[in-house]
Amino acid sequence: MHDLYAFVSGPLVWVAFIIFFGGSIYRLVSMAILAKKKDGVVFEYFNFKYALRSIFHWIIPFASTNWRLHPWMTIVTFAFHIGLIFTPVFLFAHIILIKESWDISWWAMPDGLADILTLVVIASCVFFFVRRQVLPEVKYLTSTSDYVILVLVALPFITGFWTYHQWPESTFMGILHILSGEVMLAVIPFTKLSHMLFFPITRGYMGSEFGGVRQAKDW
Amino acid sequence: MRKTLGLLFLFSFLAASLVGFSAYCQEDISFVGDSAFTERMRPSVPFLHDDHNEMANIEDCNECHHVWEDGKKLEWDSSEDKECSECHLSQESGDSDMDLIKAYHNMCKECHIGQKAGPVQCSECHIK
Ligand code: HEC
Ligand code: HEC
Ligand code: HEC
Ligand code: HEC
Repeated sequence: MHDLYAFVSGPLVWVAFIIFFGGSIYRLVSMAILAKKKDGVVFEYFNFKYALRSIFHWIIPFASTNWRLHPWMTIVTFAFHIGLIFTPVFLFAHIILIKESWDISWWAMPDGLADILTLVVIASCVFFFVRRQVLPEVKYLTSTSDYVILVLVALPFITGFWTYHQWPESTFMGILHILSGEVMLAVIPFTKLSHMLFFPITRGYMGSEFGGVRQAKDW
Repeated sequence: MRKTLGLLFLFSFLAASLVGFSAYCQEDISFVGDSAFTERMRPSVPFLHDDHNEMANIEDCNECHHVWEDGKKLEWDSSEDKECSECHLSQESGDSDMDLIKAYHNMCKECHIGQKAGPVQCSECHIK
């Protein structure tokens, strides 16, 4: 168990981050090259003012027509993304491990809040799962990989909650927690999770085209 | 018959005192309880000081209760009269609780990982 712990909490962390950053750069650059070759005007039309205006309307709950049309989806989506990003970054247990290795630290949220956000993320994953099965128009567009991604995202949160509350086999769950977090990070650039990288670009491009060319709103 | 009864009595007395003694030992479980942590976020860490060091074959007290000078650990000096927080939560260097926790964690975990024995995860030390 010691060797396994040392391995997943040491070298594998580096591997996961290198794949995440390297893969992200690779995806962004190859997308840019492809765009240049196939549709060079994309770059000419890009306009930061219109791009930011569109992104702004889409990252605020209910600030776009589409958000207002689907209030439940909007609430769950925003709660999910807030929990997904804030919990790991501001979790005390993560920060103290970073402090132990590099002597840097930042603000940590209370553990009670982390517990609530974790449950929100897990419940949201269940919601997305059921939604994919129940709504015909969504089910039509769903492939197996969409379910796999949901499980990959939920796993670090389930195992983290488990080991924090010291349920049975919490040592094993702790290792599974680290491992599943690394897997999730590493698959981001190569799955639909890459919308994390591409959202600002696709949204920004839509905003530019609608603002500059069609002179219309895209939210 | 008398003899047997007497022996039985003696035997049960011995057994009872053994049970009582081991119960006393279990009550003697000690925890690392640095007085610098006023509000605790986690359950305290069970640490049977002498048993631990015997089991782990640690001979020198200054393996943990160390004294440093000019960036070097002094081989012959020790600081068992001080809590870790007296040095690792120093006012002058502006240490925070995080620095003190780091000192404890690094000391305990580095040895456990290195020797492949002893707890290394939060849930193994801060037992509910
Ligand atoms: C594995 C590390 C370790 C080793 C080795 C070790 N100690 Fe300790 N000792 C501790 C810790 C941790 C505490 C608790 C510190 C605190 O609460 O601030 C402690 C506390 C003490 C205390 C204070 C107890 C009290 O009631 O306040 C004394 C005295 C002490 N140790 C003596 C010794 C002596 C003598 C040795 C060598 C035979 C020794 N220690 C070896 C870790 C160690
Ligand atoms: C008399 C003051 C003093 C006491 C008491 C003390 N330390 Fe230290 N410790 C130092 C100094 C000085 C250093 C070296 C400078 C630094 O890294 O902060 C140090 C370094 C360390 C380090 C990092 C270097 C290494 O050994 O690898 C750890 C970890 C540590 N101490 C833990 C502890 C723990 C745990 C206790 C209590 C059992 C303790 N210290 C008690 C003064 C002290
Ligand atoms: C110099 C090495 C060393 C240091 C420093 C050290 N330990 Fe250990 N510890 C060990 C070893 C070795 C074992 C395994 C003993 C065994 O199971 O035979 C162990 C075992 C333990 C155990 C499990 C004991 C049991 O009953 O199974 C606990 C709890 C523990 N250590 C707590 C601590 C804490 C807390 C600290 C820091 C204050 C600490 N240790 C510092 C070497 C160390
Ligand atoms: C090897 C044993 C060990 C492991 C593993 C360990 N700790 Fe600790 N921790 C300690 C000791 C010893 C102290 C300081 C002693 C005391 O309680 O006074 C401490 C102190 C703390 C404190 C400050 C006291 C409090 O309760 O507020 C926090 C918070 C903490 N640890 C969180 C964690 C977290 C989170 C993890 C996992 C990332 C973790 N610890 C892993 C041994 C351990």
